[in-house]
Amino acid sequence: LSSISLGVNGMTCGSCVQSIEQRIGSLPGVIHIQVSLELKNASIIYDNSHHTPQSLAEAIEDMGFDSIISD
Amino acid sequence: MTTKHEFFVDMTCEGCSGAVTRVLNKLGGVQFDIDLPNKKVFIESEKDTDVLLETLKKTGKEANYIGPK
Ligand SMILES: [Cu+2]
Ligand SMILES: [Cu+2]
Repeated sequence: LSSISLGVNGMTCGSCVQSIEQRIGSLPGVIHIQVSLELKNASIIYDNSHHTPQSLAEAIEDMGFDSIISD
Repeated sequence: MTTKHEFFVDMTCEGCSGAVTRVLNKLGGVQFDIDLPNKKVFIESEKDTDVLLETLKKTGKEANYIGPK
């Protein structure tokens, strides 16, 4: 397992946070996700045989938010 | 020939409408208007309504096809 913190821009409220947590959290290989509106980021624990930081950032972008690989 | 389609999307704020704008722009080949207070999205496109609906659902919001406008 790996963990990553991705920058997420474009969220304005709790429902944005929830929709990202639900959709990304339900992807196979995503173990845990916590999204912060204040910090504009998503902390994700994932199975690295399923995902890379790039694939996770793309999944968030695909939902219509901007995602930046910062770390 | 394009038809205008009306969709319900459960948007609650500018973040939601911004996400809808971005997924539709990414899809391309669409012209659209967003009515945030009424949770409606009007799309003019040659694309199949299923494709449009799947695109709207990518935002993680509840979305339904209402009908042609
Ligand atoms: Cu929001
Ligand atoms: Cu919103």
